[in-house]
Amino acid sequence: MIEFELSDRQRQLVDALTQLGKGVIRPQSLAWDRAHGIPEDFLRNFMRMALAFGGTQESSRFLGGADDEAPKEKDPARDTSKPSHANRTAAVASEVIGWADAALLLGLPGPGLGGPPVRSSGTPEQRKRFFGVFKGQLEEGAPLKWGAYGLTEPGAGSDVASIRTSCVKDGKHWILNGRKCFITNGGRAAWTVIFATVDSKLGRAGQRAFVVEKGTPGFSVGKIEEKMGLRASETAELVLEDCRVPAENLLGGEEAYVSKEGFMTAMKTFDTTRPLVAAMACGIGRAAYETARDFVKDNYLMTRPIPRYAAIAERLAKVGRRLEAARLLTWRSVWLADQHQENAKEASMAKAYAGQAAIYACTEAIEICGAHGALAGEGALLEKWFRDIKVYDIFEGTGNIQRVVIAKRIVAGLKAF
Amino acid sequence: MISFEPSEDQQLMRGTVADLAKASISPRSREFERARAVAPEVRAAVAELGLGMAMLPEAVGGSGLGLTTQVLLEEELGKADAGAAFALPGPGPYGLAVLELGSEAQQGEHLSRFSDASAVGAVAWSEPRALRDRAGFATIAKKSGGGWEITGKKSFVGNAGDAACFVVFAQIDEAAGWNGIGAFVVARDNPGLKMGARHETLGLDAAWFGEVELNGAKVEDGARLAPADFTAAALRFFAKHALVVAARAVGLAGFAYELARSYCETRVAFGKPIGHFQAVAFNLADRAMDVDAARWLVWRAAWCWDAKRPERECLLASARAGAQALETAMRAADDCVSLHGGAGFIRDVIAEKLMRDAKQLALCGPSAEQLDQLAAAVETGAPLDPALLLPTPDLQAVFT
Repeated sequence: MIEFELSDRQRQLVDALTQLGKGVIRPQSLAWDRAHGIPEDFLRNFMRMALAFGGTQESSRFLGGADDEAPKEKDPARDTSKPSHANRTAAVASEVIGWADAALLLGLPGPGLGGPPVRSSGTPEQRKRFFGVFKGQLEEGAPLKWGAYGLTEPGAGSDVASIRTSCVKDGKHWILNGRKCFITNGGRAAWTVIFATVDSKLGRAGQRAFVVEKGTPGFSVGKIEEKMGLRASETAELVLEDCRVPAENLLGGEEAYVSKEGFMTAMKTFDTTRPLVAAMACGIGRAAYETARDFVKDNYLMTRPIPRYAAIAERLAKVGRRLEAARLLTWRSVWLADQHQENAKEASMAKAYAGQAAIYACTEAIEICGAHGALAGEGALLEKWFRDIKVYDIFEGTGNIQRVVIAKRIVAGLKAF
Repeated sequence: MISFEPSEDQQLMRGTVADLAKASISPRSREFERARAVAPEVRAAVAELGLGMAMLPEAVGGSGLGLTTQVLLEEELGKADAGAAFALPGPGPYGLAVLELGSEAQQGEHLSRFSDASAVGAVAWSEPRALRDRAGFATIAKKSGGGWEITGKKSFVGNAGDAACFVVFAQIDEAAGWNGIGAFVVARDNPGLKMGARHETLGLDAAWFGEVELNGAKVEDGARLAPADFTAAALRFFAKHALVVAARAVGLAGFAYELARSYCETRVAFGKPIGHFQAVAFNLADRAMDVDAARWLVWRAAWCWDAKRPERECLLASARAGAQALETAMRAADDCVSLHGGAGFIRDVIAEKLMRDAKQLALCGPSAEQLDQLAAAVETGAPLDPALLLPTPDLQAVFT
């Protein structure tokens, strides 16, 4: 049956996160942005609260899913004979956290974007070893741990087949050389999934994925980037200079690379993460929209016949409906995922549409509020959201890359441009 | 729980309508356009399916399927031929108006004639021009004996040519402006009602849009639809009507997108199908996104009404869906013509008709601009002022 009501559990989660967002997260948001980070105590408390609230794997998946080191038989998200709720719950929760502070979601401890490839392609031993790192990290006094995903290089981002980081087998090790850039949580990650190639002429067939652990000889953190927005989230450059990675850290083992499929599963990450990125964008856009709407309510008496008022009403409405459209495209893509149906096209649609709708929302919101909209200060976060949102049309595949994904799935015979 | 899966019954009905539309409507679209009417046997087939009454409550003789089912079916009709969708038998907007504005007894009485599934209803709302000296309609309803006497000229009335009955809007209190309007059910055989001229229109040629004249048309007091809050009821009527039109717009947009896509897959230039060039493929990707987005907005709004969500939420969702769908249809049809190049401008290809239909469709009910004003009013908590939010001739005239 067609329905757009959240389940009771989802509603409770949304309400709890909304309260937390309003009362605790937003008041600190600008300070985190200026300090380029979120205090570990806060992250630990937030994770504890969210996990205590959701408790189950389903509702904690959006928090990084550190607890599911191996597929469990009873996990409905894996049992393809039964529909799951996990992706829908993750999407509604991601929207609220994005609405509160997007950098928070990116900065949460856990495997992060490194999780999905290890989960889908790692051997049982690797899953145990690498997810085991996160066990007990929320206990008092224990250090927080992050995972990361290292694909992009200075010379190749979306064009994955062109990565240049090299790997050469040397006895029981692989020697990696190259540079990775724009890696979320890269500097502090306990391990990073690094993509490299045995021979760049082979394209994707030559590529290998490694889990490179912090402290591996030859593995170092380069520049921590200064960004336009999402400044509380760490974005790092990683340098591999004759980096010796143990053979047992080759993701999936040698046999995974006999066919191209092993590598392809490692790339599948995006079908599940793109809708969540879209959901976060919807959250930031909604935050800006609500701020502008409330500003209009508080400051303008909309019933006066001032021509600008009709124009403001129209602009508000356009922002509102595009955000709603983005949210529904997102919901549709996660609903498909929960039904275990192919959703690559829909995930890209959600990502492409939401990025643009939310940028539009932030831009219009500032314009509607006039000079007030450009101020940074207590309770004034529009300028921050405007800075934060832009990257949502860039990371996890730019808007144009999403259109490549969609086009290949709608135009017959189109393999590549 | 969020779900995008129509029920089995809904899928079955949608399949039936899609089959009928594919077999009997879309292939004859140009014929209906030239004839300026849908062929009688097709109207009869639609009547037999009982489509016109499908969404109306069982209490008034409908099937009680609700708006969600209706928008699924309307999308299929809009996909086949939006013009025909406005010309098929059934109570149409008349049914929605009677349901929102009439008492329970009036609903039963004024919808009973639609047990004959070939009957047609119409709404006479707009007028040839806006008044300069006061707000409100030029058409006046005056108390006369135990009933009312209506005089004036209505225009842009859909199905004016063959409607068996009309909901006629007229001024009751001239001093009260748009707060002083009323609605009356007037039968076609009322001696005071006269058919006016049929308009020559940009698109949707299969449907009859025309004028209706009222020359002291007398109706009984029971024919006056007088809900407790007239503005609220009228807004509900227009919001639901906008949603039906939006569903047709989604259908039209989806068809335009598909037509463009298939053309771009086969038309070869510079050694490959033009759809394999990025500029073209990205355009198709954007339109595919738009069509999906508009469809989900329409579904969500229809679900709001059926799930009896708070009225302001329903109005907001409908306004958003309507505005987005109308824009989507225009954009999709426009791009469809563009992607066909010169061929798109020639009447051998259906693309040009889609573009004309899309533009007129955007004025068959509250326009996107008006719906945006409604959404903003709901969101900012502004009073729902009929002068600003109803599609009056003062603001922007519309077809109904």
